[in-house]
Amino acid sequence: MQYRVRHTTTYDYTDLVSVCLNIAHLAPRGAPGQICNETSLTIQPPPAVVVDQTDYFGNPTRFFSVQEPHRQLTLCAEHLVDVSPRIFPDASQTEPWEMVRERLRVDRSGEVLDAFQFVCDSRYAPPIAAAADYARSSFTEGRPILDAVLDLTRRINADFEYDPHATTIATPLEQVFDQRCGVCQDFAHLEIACLRSLGLAARYVSGYLSTEPPPGHVPLVGGDATHAWLSVFCPGIGWVDVDPTNNQMPGDAYILLAWGRDYDDVSPVKGVVLGGGQHAVTVAVQVEPAA
Amino acid sequence: MSNTTLQSPIGLPSEPGDGWLDYSPGAENSDELFDRTGAHRAHWNEFLKSLQAMGPHELTRRWSDVQQLIRENGVTYNVYGDPQGMNRPWQLDPIPFLIAAEEAQTIERGLIQRGRLLEALMGDLYGPQRCLAAGLLPRELLFGNPAFLRSCHNLHVLGDRSLHLYGANLARAADGAFRVLGDRTQAPSGAGYALENRLVLSRTLPDAFRDCRVQRLAPFFRTLRETLQKIAPHNRDNPRIILLTPGPYNETYFEHAYLARYLGFTLAEGGDLAVRDNRVYLKVLGALQPVDVILRRLDDDFCDPLELRPDSFLGVPGLVQAARSGNVAVANALGTGLLETPAFLAFLPGLSRELLGEELLLPSVATWWCGEAWACQHVIEHLHDLVIKPAHAGIPLEPAFGDELTSQQLADLVARIRSRPHDFVAQERLTLSTTPALAGERLAPRHFVLRAYLAAHDDTFVMMPGGLTRFSASPEKMVVSMQRGGGSKDTWVLSEGPVSNLSLLPPGGLPVAVNRGGNELPSRVADNLYWLGRYAERAEGLARLLRGVLVRMTERSGFAETPELPRLLQAVTLMSGAYPGFVGEGAESRLAAPETELLSVIYDAKLAGSVVSVLGALFRVAGTARDRISRDMWRVVSDLADRHRGESRSGTRNSPAGDGETATCQRGRTLSEALDELDRAVLTLAAFSGLSTDSLTRGDGWRFLDLGRKLERSLHTVSLLRSTLVTAASPEAPLLEALLEIADSSMTYRRRYLGSVQPAAVLDLLLADEGNPRSLAFQMAAVTEHLERLPRDADGAARRPEQRLMLAALTAVRLGDADRLAAVDPSGRRADLEQLLNEAAQSLPAVSDAITQTYLSHLQASRQLSSPT
Repeated sequence: MQYRVRHTTTYDYTDLVSVCLNIAHLAPRGAPGQICNETSLTIQPPPAVVVDQTDYFGNPTRFFSVQEPHRQLTLCAEHLVDVSPRIFPDASQTEPWEMVRERLRVDRSGEVLDAFQFVCDSRYAPPIAAAADYARSSFTEGRPILDAVLDLTRRINADFEYDPHATTIATPLEQVFDQRCGVCQDFAHLEIACLRSLGLAARYVSGYLSTEPPPGHVPLVGGDATHAWLSVFCPGIGWVDVDPTNNQMPGDAYILLAWGRDYDDVSPVKGVVLGGGQHAVTVAVQVEPAA
Repeated sequence: MSNTTLQSPIGLPSEPGDGWLDYSPGAENSDELFDRTGAHRAHWNEFLKSLQAMGPHELTRRWSDVQQLIRENGVTYNVYGDPQGMNRPWQLDPIPFLIAAEEAQTIERGLIQRGRLLEALMGDLYGPQRCLAAGLLPRELLFGNPAFLRSCHNLHVLGDRSLHLYGANLARAADGAFRVLGDRTQAPSGAGYALENRLVLSRTLPDAFRDCRVQRLAPFFRTLRETLQKIAPHNRDNPRIILLTPGPYNETYFEHAYLARYLGFTLAEGGDLAVRDNRVYLKVLGALQPVDVILRRLDDDFCDPLELRPDSFLGVPGLVQAARSGNVAVANALGTGLLETPAFLAFLPGLSRELLGEELLLPSVATWWCGEAWACQHVIEHLHDLVIKPAHAGIPLEPAFGDELTSQQLADLVARIRSRPHDFVAQERLTLSTTPALAGERLAPRHFVLRAYLAAHDDTFVMMPGGLTRFSASPEKMVVSMQRGGGSKDTWVLSEGPVSNLSLLPPGGLPVAVNRGGNELPSRVADNLYWLGRYAERAEGLARLLRGVLVRMTERSGFAETPELPRLLQAVTLMSGAYPGFVGEGAESRLAAPETELLSVIYDAKLAGSVVSVLGALFRVAGTARDRISRDMWRVVSDLADRHRGESRSGTRNSPAGDGETATCQRGRTLSEALDELDRAVLTLAAFSGLSTDSLTRGDGWRFLDLGRKLERSLHTVSLLRSTLVTAASPEAPLLEALLEIADSSMTYRRRYLGSVQPAAVLDLLLADEGNPRSLAFQMAAVTEHLERLPRDADGAARRPEQRLMLAALTAVRLGDADRLAAVDPSGRRADLEQLLNEAAQSLPAVSDAITQTYLSHLQASRQLSSPT
């Protein structure tokens, strides 16, 4: 599938901003099954400084600084991305999860060392007892890792309600657990915390979802903004994506932007402003199949 | 042997009947003065001789001089969370810690190797990470370690040096050998205190200092400065170097200011710096000046709220990117905090073999990381003999001493270790060596830790021939901490040959050829001084007015005899801004019985605009400008704040429980007590004002302070006249008398106009008479002149907005005709006066805003954007 994505982020300020400094994660990275053919980011007012670089996780980033007074900042990202259909691994043939855990601790190959950093705690996926307790019933002794992960994904999807008004990015994970509702970021963080509590490697993935379902299908949840899911390390296969929000393994309706330990590593726009008073942010995402 | 008392240990005759040099260290530990056989160590010879010659009385006399010198130099050390903790005087012992030349060389060789090793490790962990693949360092210690800053990965520093100033804590163990207790790699503190200790001690014991042939410290600091110059990406001939401090509340702020002055660097807080076009600039008045090198005293994660800790208010947004782009050099390199990870100590020997091909020369204190199964087992079996610490900085855990825990606590600790073993390290408990310190009039043994310093030099390091020695509060205590009552010592590294006496500079404190970097005034400092002036004047003006009111209320009784009182009370409300007070709703009843409201305007710390709250603001802003005002000015302000803080506290204690009314807080205080206190406050504030005139050099700093004062006094005069004279009173004479008195102009009036008090004459004196330093025109003329003289842009030939506003306002006041201003229209109003004062009341705040806009607008605080989802 080829998609055209248009992703607009607008900041409106009550007072003049004299300077802002920002880092954007707004260009799709290359990934297995995905080729980014074109990507552009238009910033208004035009920034005085633009530096395109790659972050620690290999995601393309743009550092920019607007140095003229402004009341509105607009970032318009447009991408043309090819996504090939995925071949889903046979979950029952994956390694028992305990073996994966052990391998992550001792194997010194580059791939495993790199994966290990996604075993460690991070800001939005802290080690909480509730996550460890919740995860346990899916990870029975000797169960193939992907089989267990898919079971956990299904349970989260069933036990937690999607409610775009229940949480913000600042809502602690404990609270998400208590109230049993949230949005895609929450569910991704929650499953990541579950997997890490078991010593497994899980990383956070941000991206987009095609909003036009194939004929006869209901639209997927989370299509009107950026979407988030996670990826789990399965030795021999590599990283396997799962989406607890829609209880599925992402296929060619998913366009990947960036990955990291959690939201903090890949948030689409971070910034510091001088002045500005109050601000409001609006995001619009359009994903259309290209001809 | 070693704990028997030895008479006259150095074989010299002691003073008759005086065994003051008797000194008996404990038997279990090694001691610096005595060896195991009870003989004194040779390198103390010269020092003991001179001590002997001096005698105890002379030493204690000089010691009290030391204390005096320290207070006079304002050497302080702040302790967080301690009410007396701010600006605690530095504790220095008159007996130095002596190191023989040969041993110093051994330490230097060991530390240089260690510094090279740590830099190699830094390059690897922030680069290819081969140490992990080779199994030399466990992966948890990097990837699970919050000190590993991913945004600093592959961030190179010129010459690939990352430790420009490196500190290591050393202690001598019972076997007599030194061990490294820990490394200070990101922003080591204490080198400035070491320098200050040297300055003080070389003056206190000049003979001993000379006879012992002590190696000088200045060359070390010269090397450090050269190294920092060389890493400048631009202007390497004359780079602008900044010492970046977290600010006056940091525990070692004194040292930051001291080192900056000594090395000729500009002291700056994060808010003084700005990143534009990917370069770092220093915000000085009305301009931005490029910065080439930053010597930081900020921890890694606080340095940049954009890429590091988003809640940091101390850093510079965009600094990481500026460093990444090669436009600024940061020393020590960003990310070096990683090297302080306690668990690394366990792996340094292996890393040294692999990265350097050398055995570690100077061992660390024995350390076990519990993430390794065998080590964890060992630790749990030997908890009693160990200290348990967090493996890295991200784990909240106070160090626990195994032998001090109850069996329940031990069991809990074991359970915690077993559940997350990789979070813990354990270290052997060293029996620290002792060294003599002065206790009363005798020498007594104290455990000590030495912090040694290395400065990068070409491709190696040089060690400071000295360092900061800290010692325990008592011989029983092994904990060496300035925060827990210990003290510090100068560290003397003796030389084998003669010390080069080429230098004729005073011993110890020889200044490096200082380039003060000019008179640039960071805008933040200008802003603080401006507000210092405004608050000082606001407090004084309000206190004078209130004093005038209280005098009338206590000396006479009833309004019949003081018809001017209601107008003055209304002026109190207008000037303090404490509405509704005597003008708003319910003013009638408060005017009839004004005591409660008055006491509240004086003492209620929660009431914005009250005397006590203005004094609080004055104290706070004075604290932020401490390095710019004289010591006496600071003392005046802090005395004042102490006195009134104490009073408002005692007032609150007296208030009945559960009673939230602010006015009741002052129950039990009488108006005449309040009058006494206001009287004192007016005098003290006048002293502050005198000091600010006399003890500040006439630079831009003084100009901003005085600008604040003059502008505030102008506003004050305008409010006073607006609330009293716009509507004619009858009789008016008592009110006019009161105004002259409050404006401190009665004497002038009497000299000029014998006899009756007339409105036109009073208005002329208080408004337009530029010979009267209390008049509005005098204040405004001074403001106008300050504005003329402040720095402007090169293209600033035209008048700036604040100048135009001020000139217009001043001209209006100058042109005012006293008789017409005093004229009363049929409705009883002075319309011309009202218009003049209204205009001034509008333009003066506009001038203040314009000043802020012109000179201080880039001081806006930066804030995080909320993240879109």
